[in-house]
Amino acid sequence: MEGTSSSHLAREMRVAWAITAKDMRIYYVRPPSLMFGILFPFSLFLSFSIGRNIPISSQIPVLIAQTLFFASSSIGPVVIPVERANQTFDRLVTSPVSLLAVLMGKTLAGIIYGVGITTIPILIGIVFFGSAIGSAAALIACMVLSSLAFSAMGIMFASIPGQTAGQVMMPLNFVRIPLLFISGVYSPVQELPLAMQIVSLLSPLTHTVELARYSLGVPTFFGPLINVAVLSVYAAVFLLMGIHFHVMSQRKK
Amino acid sequence: MDNAVEVMGLTKYYDKLLAVDHIDFEIKKGEIFGFLGPNGAGKTTTIRMLTGASIPTEGRASIMGYDIQRQPVEAKERMGIVPDVNNVYDELSAWDNLIFTGRLYDVPKAYREERAQELLRMFGLYERRDEKVQGFSRGMKRRICIAMALMNKSSLLFLDEPTSGLDVQSVLIIRDLIRKLNQQGLTIFLTTHNIEEASQMCDRVAIINHGRIAAIDTPEQLKRTLASLQSVEVAFQNAPDSVLEQLRRLPGVNKAVKAGDKFRLFTNDPPQVLSSLWGYTEKSKLSLITVNTLGPSLEDVFVKLTGIELATAGGTENNGRKELVHQQASSKKG
Repeated sequence: MEGTSSSHLAREMRVAWAITAKDMRIYYVRPPSLMFGILFPFSLFLSFSIGRNIPISSQIPVLIAQTLFFASSSIGPVVIPVERANQTFDRLVTSPVSLLAVLMGKTLAGIIYGVGITTIPILIGIVFFGSAIGSAAALIACMVLSSLAFSAMGIMFASIPGQTAGQVMMPLNFVRIPLLFISGVYSPVQELPLAMQIVSLLSPLTHTVELARYSLGVPTFFGPLINVAVLSVYAAVFLLMGIHFHVMSQRKK
Repeated sequence: MDNAVEVMGLTKYYDKLLAVDHIDFEIKKGEIFGFLGPNGAGKTTTIRMLTGASIPTEGRASIMGYDIQRQPVEAKERMGIVPDVNNVYDELSAWDNLIFTGRLYDVPKAYREERAQELLRMFGLYERRDEKVQGFSRGMKRRICIAMALMNKSSLLFLDEPTSGLDVQSVLIIRDLIRKLNQQGLTIFLTTHNIEEASQMCDRVAIINHGRIAAIDTPEQLKRTLASLQSVEVAFQNAPDSVLEQLRRLPGVNKAVKAGDKFRLFTNDPPQVLSSLWGYTEKSKLSLITVNTLGPSLEDVFVKLTGIELATAGGTENNGRKELVHQQASSKKG
């Protein structure tokens, strides 16, 4: 095309952003999606907090982590199977960009949604429970890296060939729900037995919870550097696996 | 580079099912190339491989000189795609659908807005540009779909069943548009079930059956290769029920088929059939309404090459003379 002689990378970023903007508009910024993103983490949080003799203020990092976890990984997995079913996903696959750009566009929509929704518990913590941000850098890293990793995780599950929207949610929840119990959500990693501490190291959610705690000045077990490294590795692995599944799908289709 | 598309040994397996079997063909720049075949013959699978939506099991294809597997971005930049379903975004307006497509192809903002305006006017949808597409009729969605494929000013347009299931007005608009686009230099790859459409519009056609190219040539050349499909079409006033059986037995008739209120007598020798037909009508005291001699149509060629005649035309074989439909005939014998 004439007039499109800009660099390959810039072009990929522009197209990825176009996909993000389209997905935000069609799927994310709709009342049901917004209500789900806000209500689900809150109800999950309250169901485990009410009746326990723990001050809610100390549980704000958990609420932040849960919101990031569920908000970032919930809408994306539905979008790809829906687009596959009505063949609009073919528009993206046959456009002159890489699969990475397409999946990054999809992932970025999950990131924006996850970060946007998560500002609500952060504000609630600050305004109503006196939470103080001890490390803004840790909070930003927590929000960006966690939403990236969880959004990419959702996209990866959605990319498994031949799945409908309903079929995606079952294996995704089969992974997501158990992660809540091995990631120091309900009791800090320091208080877990050694075997569980080793298992929790492998869970990306552990590192979200830890970064959220660290950013609000709560001591953590693994430390922010390990948290950042593990979340980065998971984000890359989920994206690459997503691409791999799409290539498999194109071979089968 | 005179060819817009070059396909070499393209093959697709779905697990153990061979959907496309080592096909080869070229499409010259500026051609309207028709791709005909019955359902499940491999048409859409071929388009999906050529457009990068599906990865071939074997073989290769190039678009305007760019290998679709090795240089996908360059190849995809040069094509527009209209799939067999209207894959528009129902939640977006007509305008936003076009603008999003322009962004997917990284068309600069000023140009994509100008192009979207031009295309919406061309397709008679400019007045409804701000309405969500979900309220549009099927024909209007089809037009939007074609407009989206033209947003990047491609040099090759893939059209998969573009007029299937549309009202007459939409069909005429789309056919007219395809001709105009071709006159402007756009190469067109057209799959269709409508054989008459292919015959009228295409410079060349390929007939695909069971994943293999059964024939590829200009429509007229294909018709000429099948002299045995010449026919005499006749209509009688008050024809008795037994007339089909009696027509079958006339000298020179290979096969007789009832088609509405007419009978079609296939032959290698139309004069002989006409002569015997006069004798038969006089002897049987039947009154003729019309008599026409017909050359083979592209539909006849399609029917012969794909072996679907008995299923669609309800033909009657004249046993012991000539097998017009080899596959069905052999299956009957078997």
